[in-house]
Amino acid sequence: MSEPGDTVAAVDAEALQREALSAIEAVATATELDELRVRYLGRRSDLKQALRQVRDRETGMALNAAREAIEEAVAGRQAQLERVELDRKLTEDVVDVTLPGEPLPLGHLHPITQVRRLVEDAFLGLGYEIRDDREVETVEFNFDKLAFAPTHPSRSSRDTFFFDDSYVLRTETSPSQIHILEEKEPPIYMVSLGRVYRRDAITATRYPIFHQFEGLAVDRGLTLADLKGTLLHVMRQLYGPERRVRFRTHFFPFTEPSIEPDVSCGICGGEGCRTCKYSGWIEMGGAGMVDPRVFENVGLDPEEWSGFAFGCGLERAAQLRHDIPDIRLLWEGDLRVLRQF
Amino acid sequence: MRVPVSWLQDYVPLEAPLDELATKLSVSAAEVEGIERRGVPDRDGNLGLFRVGRVLEAAKHPNADRLQLCRVDVGEGEPLQIVCGAWNFGAGATVAVALPGAVLPGGLELEARKVRGETSHGMILAEDEVELGTDHTGIMVLDDQFEPGTPLADVLPIVDDVLLVEPTGNRPDLLAVYGVAREVAALYDLERAPMPGRDPERAGEEPVDVQVEDLVGCPRYIGRLFRDVQIGPSPVWLKSRLLAAGMRPISNIVDITNYAMLALGNPLHAFDFATLRGGRIVVRRAWTGEKMRTLDGVERELTPEDLMIADAERSVALAGIMGGEDTEIGEATTDVLLEAANFEPFTIFRSSERLRLRTEGSNRWEKGVDPYLAEPAAMLATQLFVELAGARWVGHTDVQGDLPERPAVPYRPERADRLIGIETPRDEQHGLLRRLGFDVEGERVTVPTWRARDVTREVDVIEEIARFRLEDVPFTLPERRAMFGSLSREQKLRRRVEDVLVGLGFTETYTPSLRPDDETTWKLPEPISVELSALRTRLLPSLVEAAGRNAEVGERGIGLFEIARVYLPAGELPDEHLRVAGIVGATSGGSKDLSRRFTRPSRRSRPSSPPRIRCSIRARRPKRPPARSASSTRACSRAHGEYSSSSSRSSSASRATPSPMRT
Repeated sequence: MSEPGDTVAAVDAEALQREALSAIEAVATATELDELRVRYLGRRSDLKQALRQVRDRETGMALNAAREAIEEAVAGRQAQLERVELDRKLTEDVVDVTLPGEPLPLGHLHPITQVRRLVEDAFLGLGYEIRDDREVETVEFNFDKLAFAPTHPSRSSRDTFFFDDSYVLRTETSPSQIHILEEKEPPIYMVSLGRVYRRDAITATRYPIFHQFEGLAVDRGLTLADLKGTLLHVMRQLYGPERRVRFRTHFFPFTEPSIEPDVSCGICGGEGCRTCKYSGWIEMGGAGMVDPRVFENVGLDPEEWSGFAFGCGLERAAQLRHDIPDIRLLWEGDLRVLRQF
Repeated sequence: MRVPVSWLQDYVPLEAPLDELATKLSVSAAEVEGIERRGVPDRDGNLGLFRVGRVLEAAKHPNADRLQLCRVDVGEGEPLQIVCGAWNFGAGATVAVALPGAVLPGGLELEARKVRGETSHGMILAEDEVELGTDHTGIMVLDDQFEPGTPLADVLPIVDDVLLVEPTGNRPDLLAVYGVAREVAALYDLERAPMPGRDPERAGEEPVDVQVEDLVGCPRYIGRLFRDVQIGPSPVWLKSRLLAAGMRPISNIVDITNYAMLALGNPLHAFDFATLRGGRIVVRRAWTGEKMRTLDGVERELTPEDLMIADAERSVALAGIMGGEDTEIGEATTDVLLEAANFEPFTIFRSSERLRLRTEGSNRWEKGVDPYLAEPAAMLATQLFVELAGARWVGHTDVQGDLPERPAVPYRPERADRLIGIETPRDEQHGLLRRLGFDVEGERVTVPTWRARDVTREVDVIEEIARFRLEDVPFTLPERRAMFGSLSREQKLRRRVEDVLVGLGFTETYTPSLRPDDETTWKLPEPISVELSALRTRLLPSLVEAAGRNAEVGERGIGLFEIARVYLPAGELPDEHLRVAGIVGATSGGSKDLSRRFTRPSRRSRPSSPPRIRCSIRARRPKRPPARSASSTRACSRAHGEYSSSSSRSSSASRATPSPMRT
């Protein structure tokens, strides 16, 4: 057994404390600090072993003072390191949920898209399917099968964009009628929405490219009254429940009888104002009962099936809903305009 | 078609208010786009200030060489002193007078004022001053039968209403005042006058040499010869009707042909007979390489598709479209050949289309004019030639091909009820059809000649019933046996993409699908402008332009997207499918800078300097598809990338680009 005095003499409390404090000061991470804590304050550390063997009061007090100083230094340094780590996290982390967010401005749907959805939803509610067909159309589908007469003005290159004798940019969404009638057997309830093209000069009220929706219902026993009721429903969905609908006789190659639906003016309520040209009514598009020739062109018996069809412009609907004075505004992509919808 | 109401009332005793008439016509016959009031303003007793006057004295103005000083009896009080600049009348003439206080059609209010020292109490009127004509070389001299003081409106149509009627393409019969009268009579169940025009006695038996080589293009040609014609201005009533109907008076013969066309719907033409070589009319197709100068002074190059009216040597008119300059009626014309023909619609349509020449005539022919109308039109013109131009009618011929018979259509009234959805008693249906000129016998309906092209099937007859019952048709919904109707996968996806992008701060835009595009074979041979000349194969260039326009007006934080089709050349038809494209731009950052949302700061960067995209929009306009230039301007092209809506169609290039819009 060795001499206790020898061992105790080997521990110089002051030197130990100096060495430990400067080491603690120098560490940069919590891990290093923990290693130092074990080295200087652990069960097998020189300090702890010396304390266990201490016999005299003076040595004990010196050693205990050193232990307290080291413990304090470790705790202080630990707090320091944690603060640094938090700072680092606060500044470097991608998301800090405790900070207030930046305002996120929402974008806007184009008014035509908004109207398109309204129309789609109105017809989905009536159990119609939604579709769209090609915009580059054959003369056969755009005119012939829809029973356009050879002298119909739409067949003129003054009114229609022709690529050649066989292909045109569709002038209405009506070719969808032929597409669906050739694809499936009745009953058919569909509405087709898409872009159409006419050779118009660009003005406040006309644009050579515009959008239409075209409805077609083919079933047994459909009547003009069903067409009137369907359009009333849709017009009220689009323009409000107080609207009234009337029909005027008209002519379209692919419907007979043909009519034009009017909706009562929302500005004046039917009294007559500038918007409705003092008639109390606003033209909505074209409609009618499917012409027997169209049924024959797709191989259906007009004695068995009847149907109705209608088409309206989406731009017109958007203009009426929002009182848009100039149709060109819908094509310019001007954020100052688009943000208003 | 402008329909003067006073003219309409010649044919039907109309008493209903005009607003009501306009609505009824609009609903059941042809849209009335408006009612135009023309002539002297009819308010505050203004009409009472326009009178018939008799000139008691007329002498040179003491202080002016070009003026007359008149005393005019206007039926009450002292005769009025009026200064007048015209010299085509003298004492005793019956004239039209506007008294002080009268308001003229242009809005000018007359007042008694001094003219070179002499007070003028009103004005003696020329026809143009009250919109009765265009002549201002002298004042109107009226028939002496009218007493001084008679309201002028009783004598001349100085005020009239004009219905602006827009018939649909299947109703050329409504491009005539008489045709509109027929509808009005049917609507109100009124007695309608017979067609105007009675043939006068023929004053000679001269042959009229008409040869129709093409009876398909010209199924009927009535030629009538007139001698001793006195060319001059038309009477005021005729001029005022033409003006009200929108045509300019020219001379009596030309005016009468136009009048007959407006009254009945059959365009006519008058040739100066002396200029027709060989005194003959030949209806034939043009020769290859043939040319002719039309009335408007333009030299027309013709093709063998064009139907021509020729004389023995050359073409003298483009049939149904426009006359020729060489054979035009002029002041020296004394002999006139009147053409009352019928032309096949498609022939006229094709020539008018190719030559880009639309006239009142071609507009009617290409819609199909009743071939039985040529005769009444010839009769009306003949009567007026004789009455108004002192002509002697000396020759007549009527060349006819096979004129169509009136269609006889089997008709079931109960089928009309089934299609219209409302019951109309059989007797009422038959009564309506008869009023419209149809003959009804049992289950067969015979169509009048003026509707023979339009009404050929049972359903066409049903429309005749339907258009008179539109107001009574109830509102019902179809009885459904099967229901379907939900958005397809692609339609749902489209809505979701739209919503996500809007949530990200993008605003949707629409741009034209036609562009100046060199990457496609789908180019319009006749575009309306270079900007709209080809179907686009990409959305981005349009978006870049839209963003640029926004940047130019100082917009910060530009974020635009579009979902639209591209048209990629593929086989016979282009491959059309939806794409989405977005563009983000910022000029100076800040919270509005949308581009920040599409970048992720690197782990090592410092909080004080967030990475920022600078999309200098015009500088970065991609020359090639953006995905391929991704390596150099990665951040921009990320926001520029286009994504096909259907994953099966999306190209490898766009899939390679990281997508902030993937849903």
